[in-house]
Amino acid sequence: MKRHIAGRIGQALVASFGVLTIVFFVMRLSGDPTLLLVPEGASAEQIAALRHALGFDRPLLVQYGAYLLDLARFDLGESLVQRAPVAGIVAERIPYTVALAGGALVVALGIGIPAGIAMAVWRGSLLERALAGFVLAGQSLPTFWSGILMILYFGVYLGWLPTSGADSLASLVMPSIALGALTMSTFARMTRIAVLDELSRDYVPAARARGLSLGSAVWRHVLRNAAIPVVTIAALEVGNLLAGAVIVETVFAWPGIGQLAIQSIAARDFLIVQSVVLFVSIVYIGMNLLADLAYALIDPRIRLAR
Amino acid sequence: MRHPRLATPLLAFAAALAFAPAAMAQTKDALVVDLPGDVATMDPHLQWDTDSYSVYRNLFDNLVTRDTAGRIVPQIATAWRYTDDTTIVFDLRSDILFHDGSKLTPEDVAFSVRRIINPAFKSPQLSQFDQITSADVTGPAQITLHTKTPYPALMAQLVKLSIVPKAYVERVGDQAFNQQVIGSGPYKLKSWQRGVQSNLEANDAHWHGKPAFHTVTFRAVPDIPTRIADLRTGRADITRGLTPDDADALKSEKSLQILPVPTERIAYMFVNALAGPTKDKRVRQAIAMAVDRDTIISALQQGYAKPANIVLTPANFGYIADIPGWPHDPARARALLKEAGAEGATIQFLTSPAYDRRLNEAVQQMLGEVGLKVEIVMLDQPTYLRRRQGTPEEAGALSQGRWSCACQDADGVIFPLFRTGSIWSKFNNPEFDAAVDAARTVLDETKRLAHYRRAFEILRDEVPGIGLFQDYAIYLARKELKWTPTANEAFFITDMKWQP
Repeated sequence: MKRHIAGRIGQALVASFGVLTIVFFVMRLSGDPTLLLVPEGASAEQIAALRHALGFDRPLLVQYGAYLLDLARFDLGESLVQRAPVAGIVAERIPYTVALAGGALVVALGIGIPAGIAMAVWRGSLLERALAGFVLAGQSLPTFWSGILMILYFGVYLGWLPTSGADSLASLVMPSIALGALTMSTFARMTRIAVLDELSRDYVPAARARGLSLGSAVWRHVLRNAAIPVVTIAALEVGNLLAGAVIVETVFAWPGIGQLAIQSIAARDFLIVQSVVLFVSIVYIGMNLLADLAYALIDPRIRLAR
Repeated sequence: MRHPRLATPLLAFAAALAFAPAAMAQTKDALVVDLPGDVATMDPHLQWDTDSYSVYRNLFDNLVTRDTAGRIVPQIATAWRYTDDTTIVFDLRSDILFHDGSKLTPEDVAFSVRRIINPAFKSPQLSQFDQITSADVTGPAQITLHTKTPYPALMAQLVKLSIVPKAYVERVGDQAFNQQVIGSGPYKLKSWQRGVQSNLEANDAHWHGKPAFHTVTFRAVPDIPTRIADLRTGRADITRGLTPDDADALKSEKSLQILPVPTERIAYMFVNALAGPTKDKRVRQAIAMAVDRDTIISALQQGYAKPANIVLTPANFGYIADIPGWPHDPARARALLKEAGAEGATIQFLTSPAYDRRLNEAVQQMLGEVGLKVEIVMLDQPTYLRRRQGTPEEAGALSQGRWSCACQDADGVIFPLFRTGSIWSKFNNPEFDAAVDAARTVLDETKRLAHYRRAFEILRDEVPGIGLFQDYAIYLARKELKWTPTANEAFFITDMKWQP
């Protein structure tokens, strides 16, 4: 078990190093960021002076070395536009995205898993077909569209929920639903497949033969086994929620890191964009690692196989 | 007996309910503004994007300002005079207090100038002020500025110079000042939740009087449909950055009003005069005659634009109204292309996602109709800038742009765009260079206008660029808000009133 965990952590570290290297070079692939920072009327001399002041005239490998050294000291640099430490700017936004991702997970798990179980247990019924339609809608409506639709209906027409911002718990409702919809559908489908798979196994009729009701059999045996693939998906979905947050946060003016990414791209705030990409990638890797470890914990076959 | 006793409070409650909305509507204490983005820096000597500008200019007083008609008028300076071509003396008010109660002195003004022109401070606004060589306190209520050469755009630039408190900035340092600014303006910064919103509170002691709104909240709401929804529900009172299409769709909205204003931003097309098929003047003239401005304005801008004959707007000094534009004449354009032997030639139109894709395609079609194949080259912004500012050979034949110098002077527009040696210029005409050089070093306005007339005549004939239209800024506000937006997109809350 220990070897398994150490191996997984080692892999995650290698992946993280790969990500920060890729982020560095991709961000510089498109050219000199100095050009984005000067006012339109700046002369060639002014651009050269700023390039030198920012260190963008150094060889790329030297810049890469400096970047790694800074990262090792947890120094993400100072925002060229906002003139404040990048780490602070990004850190201020993380709680908002965590709250939003939490809200979306509540929506996704709270609706997706019961829906998936119901679709499996009552397979072929009218209920399954109705739920399948619901799941399909959650999966196929793009958030930039469903978000605006919700704002217009619940915010403008009914006046029930605030149209934008993050000043109360009510503000969290619509963004959570918009962001959670796709993940909810994924959970519903995965749960349905996993439960159906388990229901077809021999231990289910055996349990029924022992006198357990279908409900008890599902609750006691099927769900425990069906949870394995769902847990894996849950961890990976957190990564997808972070990616989806870019759109949802922009639509609902929710001040998380997704919105920060868009604002920084618009403001050409190079170092913040780089740090946000880095943050999201590391979270993704971290969630993958957690999924792996949780998997081993739930299913002894996996750790025993090694 | 019980009924009358119950009736009295009930009646009073009903009356309160009936009158409350009317009473509330009379006064509105809190104004809420939805901006597309948050303030980048509160320090007015750093960023100057429209969102930062909209907020912090309410926190500071400037040396001079512009009235609603666009004229430069006193603010901190009460009067100014040139003692020679490179020396200008300002008399200052002595009754202005910063928000911390300290007095605004000539030392603060001189400090503000020195701070922004100090290269070590790395202000993005440096290029607008670097003609100033020194700022000296020359009296108890007087400062004197010196410029490298006679610099006629100086006053236009000083409109943007906010005065910061020397003692406070020096005591807390630049970074802390940026987080908790102190100015002398009509509003003071109550709190700033970076990236989310800024809360301003009226400075009732302001020398210009008490502002109409006691508090102002600026919120960052990036998505246009969300900002419109905020306005509809009354969550916000005013927003900016609507597109012509949004404005068109909102015309019939009863509780809202659209406030459009022609700005100093010129939409133009760049035409490369130094490389490729457009090196031939006849090809450039043919392009000018093939582009149909009126169609662009009615179809893409929904009428929210004014046609421009030259690469400058009437909101800028140096605008020459009577220079004729090229007529829309596809037949003559075709003939000219044939004469130049450029029929069927392929030219590159460089662009990036920052520019209106529809305009690229409209121009592509218009030029296609007269026999020029336009290849639209979509680049990421840094690559686009590198090529557009690079050698003539890599700059492509065409590109579009919307240029604003935020100085309302021709010097900030046609000098960087077309003067030989400027990174944007792909044009080489010694006579044009001489005219714009002369216009930037002579103070006499009549003489300057004569130089610009000559410069624009050359541009008209040589076509290194084509003026398309004067761009509009479009605001959306609740009907009750009374405000007239201005060409320089200043967003002074003190100019706004609430009138149900």
